[in-house]
Amino acid sequence: MSQHDKELKEKFTKATMFPLKVFAVNPQVEDAQQFLKEVKVEKYDFTEHEQNFWCYCCKMEVKKHITNESLAVLYGGLLEHFVSSEHLKQTNTFWWENKADIKLKDKFLLSGDAYEKFKVAVAKAVENYEEKEDEYIKQEAEYIREVERRRQEVVQAGFEPQAEQNSVDGFPVFAVDRYESPGVGAYSTEDTEPGPSGVHFHQPNNMTNGQTLTFVGEQFQLSEPETRNIHTGATPPWLIVEDDPDTTPKPIGPSYEEFIQQKEKEKLKKLPPNRVGANFNHTSETDDSWLPSFGRVWNDGRRWQSRHQFRLEEGKKRKRDKR
Amino acid sequence: MSFFLPKLQTKREVDQVIKTVAERVLVLRFGRDQDAVCLQLDEILSKTAHDLSKMAAIYLVDVDSVPIYTRYFDISYIPSTVFFFNGQHMKVDYGSPDHTKFIGCFKTKQDFIDLIEVIFRGAMRGKLIVHSPIDPRNIPKYDLLYHGI
Repeated sequence: MSQHDKELKEKFTKATMFPLKVFAVNPQVEDAQQFLKEVKVEKYDFTEHEQNFWCYCCKMEVKKHITNESLAVLYGGLLEHFVSSEHLKQTNTFWWENKADIKLKDKFLLSGDAYEKFKVAVAKAVENYEEKEDEYIKQEAEYIREVERRRQEVVQAGFEPQAEQNSVDGFPVFAVDRYESPGVGAYSTEDTEPGPSGVHFHQPNNMTNGQTLTFVGEQFQLSEPETRNIHTGATPPWLIVEDDPDTTPKPIGPSYEEFIQQKEKEKLKKLPPNRVGANFNHTSETDDSWLPSFGRVWNDGRRWQSRHQFRLEEGKKRKRDKR
Repeated sequence: MSFFLPKLQTKREVDQVIKTVAERVLVLRFGRDQDAVCLQLDEILSKTAHDLSKMAAIYLVDVDSVPIYTRYFDISYIPSTVFFFNGQHMKVDYGSPDHTKFIGCFKTKQDFIDLIEVIFRGAMRGKLIVHSPIDPRNIPKYDLLYHGI
């Protein structure tokens, strides 16, 4: 290759023609550096934490976060990649070939020490997170126990005579409104049942917490067997033969005339709706003195006045003729 | 093929016809059966009645038998042909002084057919007055008299 050619080659490679100005620092890398200092551990959410990061230098995809099914360390994957020695080599090559800004290169590398520190911080963060989770769970359990206890109290109170009832407050949702259909004997509360216990409240006026309820049905088993339903095997209503049916079963559906009329109506619908006389009632009964709407020759004014005018004229004429 | 066109004798019949003819042009010829021009017109009407049956219904009325309508429609010359659609009177501008009816006879059957078609189309579009397609030279000439004089 001649000197001339070498010079040309030097001048017209991509690196010299398009020096890497656009390649500013990747915002993800910036974020990663931040998380290097302040480790963040989060509950693992597979929609968010399975993302990959494209490393320009190594020309490969790297998992961005580190996860272990339940927790995720943010940007852990990225940092791990930055530490590796292949990445170091690739980054150097990349920077040399593309003549990028040397100051930015540091951001894309990670020293081993820094990574060690990071790992320690991660371990601590994970511990903290787990502690917090435990605490939260304990609180929840406590709350649930409290609620349960109070409910039991109310149930006990319900057995007292009605004078006690108005002390039920703060738990309007409770079983007062809900009747279960128990057997007659289900008057004892059951402590282990989660739902409302089978308590039957006798409330003559149904006044509880200001709600007036309508008592609809008997809940005792004495009345139930009189009416049968699908579960107890009654005949369906449509098979019950009534006493006075029609002697001939009527044919179902429209008769022939109705069908023809329906066809005419359909045709009418297809006509333009703004045609003349669309709303004219063809079947109206009119008396002897009815006159159609006619725009007369010698009248002044609008068409509907012509009838009126005609009647006036007729009246005058009759008077004249009578004279 | 000529038909005998139906004749209306009383006001009640005329009323009935005006009210019941639906979605077609109603043609009422006012005249006298033996009048010469009326005979000519009646022939044209009866010859075209069948072909126009989907668009028009044609009836003949004797001017002497329903005087109230003769006065109401201001009929002074015969034959006079009045057009209705769905109970509404249709006016046509023939280039003559009276738009409310057609006075005289048509020159050809085609003129009458064209006129019916134009009236029908106008009515479908909601127009109460339409412009006649007939050549004005073929429209009979007359002077419009004012009764009050």
